[in-house]
Amino acid sequence: MTLNLLIAPDFAPERFAGWHMLNTVLQKRSGLQLHLLTPASAAEQAQLIAEGKVDAVYANPFDAASMIRDAGYQAIARPVGKSDEMVIATAAGSAANTVEDLQPGCKIALTDNKDVKLIGLRLLEPADLTEADIQWQMVDTYQAAARMAIKGEVDASFFLAEAYHSLSKLTKSQLKALMESKLADITHVLLTSAKVGADAERVKEALVGLTGTPDGQPVLDELGIAGGFEPMTQEDAEFMIDLMDTLLD
Amino acid sequence: MAFPPMQPAADADQARQHTYHDGTSRTVQVSEREIPYPEGRLIISRTDLNGVLTHANDAFIELSGYTREELIGQPHAILRHPDMPRAAFKDLWDTMKAGKKWHGYVKNLRKDGSHYWVYATAVPNIRNGQTVGYTSVRRKPSRKKIEELSAVYKEWKAAEGST
Repeated sequence: MTLNLLIAPDFAPERFAGWHMLNTVLQKRSGLQLHLLTPASAAEQAQLIAEGKVDAVYANPFDAASMIRDAGYQAIARPVGKSDEMVIATAAGSAANTVEDLQPGCKIALTDNKDVKLIGLRLLEPADLTEADIQWQMVDTYQAAARMAIKGEVDASFFLAEAYHSLSKLTKSQLKALMESKLADITHVLLTSAKVGADAERVKEALVGLTGTPDGQPVLDELGIAGGFEPMTQEDAEFMIDLMDTLLD
Repeated sequence: MAFPPMQPAADADQARQHTYHDGTSRTVQVSEREIPYPEGRLIISRTDLNGVLTHANDAFIELSGYTREELIGQPHAILRHPDMPRAAFKDLWDTMKAGKKWHGYVKNLRKDGSHYWVYATAVPNIRNGQTVGYTSVRRKPSRKKIEELSAVYKEWKAAEGST
């Protein structure tokens, strides 16, 4: 049986090869047939999951929460030292220096990443800004969000922190970070569906065993997850879900 | 309730008496000094059903001024500032015991007598249909809300007839 492994679409483009390398090494180590799915958007991901085509998912934290609680997925592992963080940035020459300088009616560019939006909204609370106070500008890529901020077409842009730090030196020199989250406890999660059964343990062992090995560590480095993966218990997952529940409003 | 001793800073020159819900009381030393909320961070803790701390993240430890060893196993009320009215915490516990989420602005007391404001959200930890504990996550509050709530809490405290 071939298991479909889906990678949430919010990884940086330069990590693409790394995910394919991971798929290859996991197959070798687990003895399982794995087929990698890399949907281009959150909508495509949702469709694949709804069609029942997904056996394992490297999910962003908020999707993971609903998949565990509502769709019976099980959390098996998470990256070590790689939490999901976000950056709110404006043009380097902007008068704003903190999020508290943003005013009701301000324009903010963002991509289709609901984790980034949700965490960003929480970080705007000290400025008394709610979702309704902001004119949202949806863009397809973080590069587009950066361009809009640099040109002054928006007052700020939301970025996944990894994407912000992957912007070119030139682009970053024209931006100013107003806020970078340090949430630490919220990470992506590798989930398996109930139908994977006992094979979930083989996937977990293969993944957790990569750290420091000749064939595993280069893959982890390529993914920007040098610390590797650690096993996750049901209670670890429940704890993260409770935590995220507090951030929903 | 018994707590590890505070370590008041030189400016913590006001002695205030607290009486807790179980009837025990504690004298705390407080100052007017406010410590800014750490940017971009969440302060996270968990308690058991009795409000005893079972988990605190690094931000919680750093901001409280206590060590992890001093905090774990202590009642969450170790952070209670004497300016906080009892009614605010009664609402928190009533809400969570009903299995619901609670939000509120809280002034917390540090080990050195200074304080910090948070916007707190608390949820019951429900496992197999049973509440087994509580998680509280704090975020940076707006200055406007702190000012509004300071005035409200002052009124509630006055109504409670304590200082």
